[in-house]
Amino acid sequence: MAHIHLEDGAFTILWVFVWTAAAAVVILVALLRLGRGKLATPRLAIASMCVAVGFAAFQIEIPVFGGVHLNLTPLMGILVGPSLGSLCVLTINIFSAAIGHGGWSMIGVNTLINTVEVVLGYAIYRFSREYLRTRRFAAGFASASIALTVSAFVAVAIVAISEIQGSSLTRAETLTNMWVLALGNIITGLFEGVVTGYIVSFLGRVRPDLLGEKAEVKVERGEALPEVTSDG
Amino acid sequence: MARKSYSKHIPDFRLVTHYAENRTSIVHRMNPKTKAALLVLVVLFVIILQQPYLLAALLIATILFYLAARLPLGLLIGWYSLPVFFVVTLSILFLFSEPGRQIASTRLLGTNIGITDNGALLVIDLLMRALAAVTFSLTFFMTTKYTYVAVIASKVLPNPIDIIFLLSYRFTFETSDEVADVLDAMHSRSGGLIKGASRQTRMFANIVGLAFVHAFERAERIAKAMEARGFSGRFPMTERLPKARWADYAIIVTVSAALAVVTYSRYFSHLTGL
Repeated sequence: MAHIHLEDGAFTILWVFVWTAAAAVVILVALLRLGRGKLATPRLAIASMCVAVGFAAFQIEIPVFGGVHLNLTPLMGILVGPSLGSLCVLTINIFSAAIGHGGWSMIGVNTLINTVEVVLGYAIYRFSREYLRTRRFAAGFASASIALTVSAFVAVAIVAISEIQGSSLTRAETLTNMWVLALGNIITGLFEGVVTGYIVSFLGRVRPDLLGEKAEVKVERGEALPEVTSDG
Repeated sequence: MARKSYSKHIPDFRLVTHYAENRTSIVHRMNPKTKAALLVLVVLFVIILQQPYLLAALLIATILFYLAARLPLGLLIGWYSLPVFFVVTLSILFLFSEPGRQIASTRLLGTNIGITDNGALLVIDLLMRALAAVTFSLTFFMTTKYTYVAVIASKVLPNPIDIIFLLSYRFTFETSDEVADVLDAMHSRSGGLIKGASRQTRMFANIVGLAFVHAFERAERIAKAMEARGFSGRFPMTERLPKARWADYAIIVTVSAALAVVTYSRYFSHLTGL
């Protein structure tokens, strides 16, 4: 699991409202950035497809380390950008709540955590490719693993601030108890980083335009050079 | 072609939809609006209830509701895996650190580690909360036809999130089938037997990468088709939700009254001393 989803009943009603309101603000900002919610049809179709593929990919168990499921949220950020990506993760969280993979009352908090992954995934990938000029695999690995590590700490902070309902521990003690959650997220985040690296490498070979890049023209040794028509 | 799910512990949307469309029971015949309202109320109960025996009663009630829908219990238990995993991961250290009487202990690396009664109660408490909500949610989606879910989603979710939700719901089946086909092809060529984490990971990445490429190509075609048919940013809903009857109102009023009592006893009883 690349990140833990919080289930219904973990927080009190006050914190459910607080995080839901915060997530509503984030989604509102995303909608405003996308032109006050008036999305072009191709963008709607692409966002929907991203949600569907994310869901389909999540159902596959990769037979390494005893079985791992991935969420691919940083990859969604790389492919569709932070604003549309935020809408995608909200939709995924609604689907997930329907099947018990995260609670209905936790859609807000889970969306906040996932939005961090989407935004950081996008920003780090673009920065790595455009300013650091790294290869696609390295950029994909760095974006997903850093995004998931940061989101793990965000999740821990949210749980520590909200406190677990029914626990008599203080916020500081709750924070100490969250290291298992953080460690698990970071380890699987590194693994998801590798997978994301391979996926963007694959996409870069077959459809670089999906990554917002131009196709690279390589001339291998022994390969015929492009024809040059010249009179001189 | 018969389709199979690639995970036993993640609910398969095809199976969920199959039960909703093809089964009949008293819960299937219930008004979708009533079931949706009950889902909201159950989630509120899950958050507000405090006493463990009331939470146990709520969990049992949701399981009975699931069974009344004539849905398979074995499937539900298998699908409990993920919520249980999430709750245990979140609360595992509370088992040992929550103040209370030690009920079991062991020595690890020279340190005494013990499970406390309050720690165990907390984990059970969180499990009951999560599973009650999951059971009712699955019952709702396994007994409510897609057309009704679509109407409720279009009324509840703001535009364009409702459109993304409805489109992705339809695309999920096709995309899952496509990924399953690739996996079947890989297994039929003994691809599943390939050892090595790196090789497995790269193979998985190529499958997902291919799914994304196909998904984007399909999205481009679908968008053109939608525009050609005059899509204006809204899906016309031809289906209407059935009108609520007195029995539906009676159920919602009764459960809401119970929730009001629980809310009052938790948050306001100290103000009046009752």
